[in-house]
Amino acid sequence: MKRFEAKWAVSMMLIVVLGLMAVGQEEAAQPDPLTFEQPVLITSIGQSAGAAQVRVVAIRAGVEATYTQRATLEELEGVATLVIVLGASSKGLGAAGVDVDGEMAWATELVETARDQGIQVIAMHIEGGARRGPSSDLIVTTFSAMSDYLIVKGSAPGIAWTADEAADGNADGLFTTIATDGEIPISYIETTLGAVDVFIELFAIEPAEG
Amino acid sequence: MKPHAGMRLAQMGIVLLLLLAAWTIGYADGPLSHDVRPGYGVSDIQWLSDYLPALRGTPGDTPIYVMQGQEPGGVALILGGTHANEIAGIMAAVLLVERGSVQRGTVFVIPHANNSASRINSGVYNATSPQSFELTNALGEVRWFHYGDRRTQPEDQEPDPDVFVHEPSGLELPGDEARNLNRNHPGKADGTLTQQISFALFALVNNENVDVLVDMHEASLYSRLSNMLVSHPRAVDIAAFTVLDLETEGLALKQEVSSEEYFGLSHREFGDRTNAFAFLIESSNPGQEASIENPDVVNDPRSPLSDRVYLQLRTIETILANHALLEGSARAIAFAFPFAVGDLLGADLGLFLR
Repeated sequence: MKRFEAKWAVSMMLIVVLGLMAVGQEEAAQPDPLTFEQPVLITSIGQSAGAAQVRVVAIRAGVEATYTQRATLEELEGVATLVIVLGASSKGLGAAGVDVDGEMAWATELVETARDQGIQVIAMHIEGGARRGPSSDLIVTTFSAMSDYLIVKGSAPGIAWTADEAADGNADGLFTTIATDGEIPISYIETTLGAVDVFIELFAIEPAEG
Repeated sequence: MKPHAGMRLAQMGIVLLLLLAAWTIGYADGPLSHDVRPGYGVSDIQWLSDYLPALRGTPGDTPIYVMQGQEPGGVALILGGTHANEIAGIMAAVLLVERGSVQRGTVFVIPHANNSASRINSGVYNATSPQSFELTNALGEVRWFHYGDRRTQPEDQEPDPDVFVHEPSGLELPGDEARNLNRNHPGKADGTLTQQISFALFALVNNENVDVLVDMHEASLYSRLSNMLVSHPRAVDIAAFTVLDLETEGLALKQEVSSEEYFGLSHREFGDRTNAFAFLIESSNPGQEASIENPDVVNDPRSPLSDRVYLQLRTIETILANHALLEGSARAIAFAFPFAVGDLLGADLGLFLR
């Protein structure tokens, strides 16, 4: 009996250990929620020049990305991640021949369609105080809340902002509030090119060989 | 004796009147001269009227400093003084002419693009802004510079219309904008003086195959426009690279793209109508801020002239570097100074002049 009991105990332990390993493997197989896939489509909501700058960020990070200032639904085809760069420009909206209401309607359809298609959405605000104000804030609050990740050039909670005051897009903590309320992960950057490192991490870019 | 004395007085009066008339005609008709001392980097001096002979002898004519590089490359046109009260652009151009040298390509520099506007400051934004300013060079010599106006002098062209209609777009603007060079592009060969200046600039850009055009401006100290780089949509990538590069150096510029609805501006019209990549830079000038009485346009610590000249020149350097990066080295353009442009920050601008 003692030998049987010992075998039974060892067997049970093996089952438990193997079970735990299986659970561990199953957990490891789940996609990291902070990993985003390529290819990427970068577009502007608010028609500021920030989206063109994010294109530069993507190039420098080695992310496979296309940039369209005002993307169409058709351009979502084959896209894994949509990067929306938020900030209203009266010049840009004028150039696109739309007002803020028109921009909101187009962008809502774009982002909702992307989400319906399983495309992940990263919202970015990189133009500081120049892109804060009634129109920009309407865009920011609406579309930040519809995103999977936030990147903002601005002060992080409890950390003093040392760059140009006008470059702080989060001086009033708006993005922090949106991220907290919506449980959306957020990265704070001090310069726009600071987003290069965030992209490298989010898109799991391997360093170039050689 | 009395008749003789009366005759002499009358003769003197006539002479004085003739002198006054000659002075007035000369003052109104000829191009204004400025204290610009070209350095070794200048290979030729042309006139804007070389590109439109109708401008010769008018207050709209202005010198063009040609700086030929040691190596072949592209062509840049650097404009200061489109608005003659926006002096950082003028002084950046003057510094380039006096101390700069071109390594690659050719750079055309026009420090006073609207020379008529240079003559008198009407105080369009600030009635207490100056008529001139002084800088002292390294030899202790005081140099005197005009602080001009936003627009062509009223007496230099026909009276303003009630409504200025931009050609060819038909865009309607206030009447005095008929004298604003940066609302008159692409100009007109037989138009007003302002339109002729613009037309000649377009002729230069087309004839010389200009690749990069930079129009240097200033805005009020607290204006949304200050510290901004505007580009034509074709040049948005070069602008984006430039803004991001400058940000890493601690120079924060906002980026805008030309509006498609607002015509007559340099970045819009040169970008639309020529092969040039067109840019407009705005630094911040205390002299354009209405709330500052007797503004110090040189030494105001909030935005000293040397810092503004640094902003203009460093931005142009970075635009040219990124133009070469994105468009290829065959049309690259590069200039340099015998000092780092960053040395201008917080320094006395006069010490860098000849």
